[in-house]
Amino acid sequence: MTAGRLPYRGVLMTAGVLVAVLAGVWRLDLVPAFAEGADSLGELIGFLQRFAAPDLTPAFLAKVGQGAVETLAISLIGTLLAVVGGVALALPASGRMGWPGQAAARFCLNLLRSVPELVWATLTVLAAGLGPFAGTLALALHTAGVLGRLYAEALENTPPAPEAALHEAGSGAVAAFLYGTLPAVAPQWVAYGLYRWEMNIRMAAILGFVGAGGLGAQLYYALSLFQESQAATLIIAMLVLSLLVDAMSGGLRRRLVTA
Amino acid sequence: MISLTAVSMAHAGGRLALDGIDLSVSAGERVALIGPSGAGKTTLLRLIGASLQPTTGLLRIDGVDPWGLSARDLQRLRAGIGKMHQTPPIPPRQRVVTAVLAGRLGQWPLWRAMASLVYPLDIAGARAVLEPLGLAERLFDRCDQLSGGQLQRVALARLFYQQPQLELADEPVSALDPALARAVAVALNDDAKRRGVTLIASLHAVELALSEFSRVIGLRNGRVAFDLPAGQVGQHHVEALYAGAGAGQVAEAAKAEPRARLTRCA
Repeated sequence: MTAGRLPYRGVLMTAGVLVAVLAGVWRLDLVPAFAEGADSLGELIGFLQRFAAPDLTPAFLAKVGQGAVETLAISLIGTLLAVVGGVALALPASGRMGWPGQAAARFCLNLLRSVPELVWATLTVLAAGLGPFAGTLALALHTAGVLGRLYAEALENTPPAPEAALHEAGSGAVAAFLYGTLPAVAPQWVAYGLYRWEMNIRMAAILGFVGAGGLGAQLYYALSLFQESQAATLIIAMLVLSLLVDAMSGGLRRRLVTA
Repeated sequence: MISLTAVSMAHAGGRLALDGIDLSVSAGERVALIGPSGAGKTTLLRLIGASLQPTTGLLRIDGVDPWGLSARDLQRLRAGIGKMHQTPPIPPRQRVVTAVLAGRLGQWPLWRAMASLVYPLDIAGARAVLEPLGLAERLFDRCDQLSGGQLQRVALARLFYQQPQLELADEPVSALDPALARAVAVALNDDAKRRGVTLIASLHAVELALSEFSRVIGLRNGRVAFDLPAGQVGQHHVEALYAGAGAGQVAEAAKAEPRARLTRCA
């Protein structure tokens, strides 16, 4: 009886996915949109062609270089602040300071994490004004929530015996943590921090769109003024920057995990 | 040095791990605790080490009740008590030198502990305790590159570096091969003799307990079964202590037979 029923599951699932796709296409009016798009294909290609010649004049490249450094700084300082904040919240969130501290720290972490970077950026731009400081703050706030939770989980999964042994041999709470638990969690903490830095360098480029400085702000101006060749240069700069950071932090993380 | 008066310790379930222990150990004694698994050896060591508070009864270390002390004074008392465990509680990624220097965290101010994490502050001191244990060349290796026996010797080096007035070892040699077990037991006893400090160790190897220590206490079901100078412990004491225990423990206890060994160290 049950053996006869089983093969229908595949058919039902396929049918379900097909129905969902068809409903989505119909709801979004994709068919007429594609038909229209075919007419204006030449226009679209023309638009893209204007990106084909990036602006490589030295004056503009210097400006792009400044923007890249600013984006790098926003992501680096933002992530470092987040590491500090994450550690400060992870210690109580892992239950080391009693349950009231744990509940309060977990609430803070959830709050910080559930608000996306872009929303934080619009808030910090309002609070701190346009510019890189607002972007740094926005990245730090959201990333502190993410890292704090990961750090707390790493702490909870660390064997307590080494720290307990030091504590029972008369060492103070801070020293016992530094010598007993930190060596076990530090590689994970650094690896998570590097991983978030990779993500934050891309996010720092986007945050410029809401006025938080860096390459993103320059790209936003270039696109608003229809300076396609300059926009192309900026997009290439973003790509190069994030590739560089990916390679660097990827290499570092591999060394940390295997070593 | 240490005195216990009618000390009992109940587990969370209400079962008694220790039941009315009366015991006193004077300074400079080297005591071996033997007995079947579950006899209360670990609990007794944790009580004496001021890690656990007795349910009833009075415990005094150097004439003071550790549980009547302030947190700061309790910490200071514990800094003078060195402990070894069956599994060395050392983080795998820590360097040997740092693991050894951690022995003095109870004596160092916090700034010194933090500075020593950046650069080990007393490399010579760590080398001096590792050298006799044959581990001087492993000073800057990470602890996860060591074998179990080497790691236990690092834990021993940490204990020596702490220079405690009271050394407590909970089955320090159970996971080691017989030759290394004897070497570690001898090193513990030699250090205690040389510095004139008190040593209390629980052991499964009865033979080592009788040959290396000055006094042997047999624990069974949370009570003291016998408490004698090592030379006066006979075969019948050991057999009665382990009677009815698992086959493995009987086999270990059987190693205790040669009387010649007992006279050698009595």
